[in-house]
Amino acid sequence: MQPLVLGIETSCDETAIGIVRGRTLLANEIASSVDEHARFGGVVPEIAARAHLEAMLPSIERAVKTAGISLRDIDAVAVTAGPGLIGALLVGVASASGLAQGLGRPLYGVNHLASHVSVDYLTHSDPLEPTIALLVSGGHSSLLQVDDITGSITKLGATMDDAAGEAFDKIARIMGVGFPGGPAIDALAKSGKVNAIDFPRGLTTSNDWQSRPFDFSFSGLKTAVARYLESTPDYAKGDVAASFQEAVVDVLLLKALAACKQTGIDSLVIAGGVAANSRLRELAEQRCEKAGIQLRIPAPALCTDNGAMVAALGSLLVSAGRAPAAAAFDADSSLPVTTINLR
Amino acid sequence: MTVSLAIDTATSRTIVGIVDNGVVVFEDFHEGATDHGKAISELVTQALKSTKLVDQVVIGMGPGPFTGLRVGITFAQSFALARSIPWVGVCSLDAIRIDSTSNDLSTDEYTVAIDARRKQVYWASYKAGLRISGPAVDKPEDIEQFITNIFPDVTKLVELSSTQNVREPMYLRSPDAIPTADRR
Repeated sequence: MQPLVLGIETSCDETAIGIVRGRTLLANEIASSVDEHARFGGVVPEIAARAHLEAMLPSIERAVKTAGISLRDIDAVAVTAGPGLIGALLVGVASASGLAQGLGRPLYGVNHLASHVSVDYLTHSDPLEPTIALLVSGGHSSLLQVDDITGSITKLGATMDDAAGEAFDKIARIMGVGFPGGPAIDALAKSGKVNAIDFPRGLTTSNDWQSRPFDFSFSGLKTAVARYLESTPDYAKGDVAASFQEAVVDVLLLKALAACKQTGIDSLVIAGGVAANSRLRELAEQRCEKAGIQLRIPAPALCTDNGAMVAALGSLLVSAGRAPAAAAFDADSSLPVTTINLR
Repeated sequence: MTVSLAIDTATSRTIVGIVDNGVVVFEDFHEGATDHGKAISELVTQALKSTKLVDQVVIGMGPGPFTGLRVGITFAQSFALARSIPWVGVCSLDAIRIDSTSNDLSTDEYTVAIDARRKQVYWASYKAGLRISGPAVDKPEDIEQFITNIFPDVTKLVELSSTQNVREPMYLRSPDAIPTADRR
């Protein structure tokens, strides 16, 4: 029998529980506190942490019911140990630890970024390995080389300042179009021209391609958009949204495809909340097809933070014979992606 | 006959006990204001060596510094869910046992206070063993006289579970955040 694993994810504002048997998804429950953060224009850590505690037990119970199992049947518990907001992560880790101890089952503390990549193993019978992975969300923008999802992940690059999703949130806030900014800008952009305004592409000078080819920077772009909005009182919202979005998406894909080329790996997985962006999906398909690269982008519900991905990685670790955490552990807000699971 | 697992993380201590029908069969704590997460798991592992079967979980619901408090509550609630046993929440300040002789009290009235960070304390006042005011959070200089450096007691946590059933964490403070519309 394949392992039955329950996964808990609380690294940001989603209290998410997933249950998988082997690589089959049985339940994926998400309670989000996003509406509580909207009037603050960003995620407030203490509000998120309180919401996690409130939502935790009902979410676990819903997931168990949806999966049609009993908690006693669970073979292992997996939880996001980091990276993420520390107060939020701690709620998930404490809950997972209480569950594991109550059930007398092993506990796996797993990496949030590695979990995002492992969604591909849930949705495809022929997962891409090795692969380049582009993880883009409100908290992360990273390029990874995944040789073995349970044993070897290398960080190729990451953002030097804002995460891509954060840039979307900030621009949306300045334009007053709502939070989270991603879906708002994506919708607005449909009525604008992608090349209406020539916004900068961060870290793409020839020097940058030499010294930090796979790192990102979005703060310069954010400033450029803010300046444009200030100096152009009668700006066209659609054009700004489309041109800003194009600048983000363009640079993400330029670097992801360059990573494929340099490593000789002809497959790319894109995940994280920004992977739900329609322009990113469209342009990724076009460019990957042209470059002969096999592309996988999970369905939007599995791109954003979810518990299924944590359960999936937990299940892969169990199947690969990887050891669970030997001792009690704490959440680590800056857990490096090279640490796939805590020993 | 009830075996209770008692957990309290409202103070700098992570406190775990097992009380079997009024008799303490395990009691231990770990000192460290940021250690609750690791400590709770280690202490409960120890506690379960004395008794495998637990009938209920008693949880100190605060007031207390948020992060540590949440760790204890979440762990305890999830443990109860896993075992299909009930959890009962009690006020952590009420579980502090005050010995009138060692504290040199001339009356049966007193106030207890624990650290609330930001130069404030969580406090409550008692008379004849009953809470008469609080729990509240204030600056120490605004409270007349109080006993501090005190911690919840596992027996008292369990005793309180027959009369209290606090279902929400006692934060007593709103999250710090300013809506975008109010920012300048």
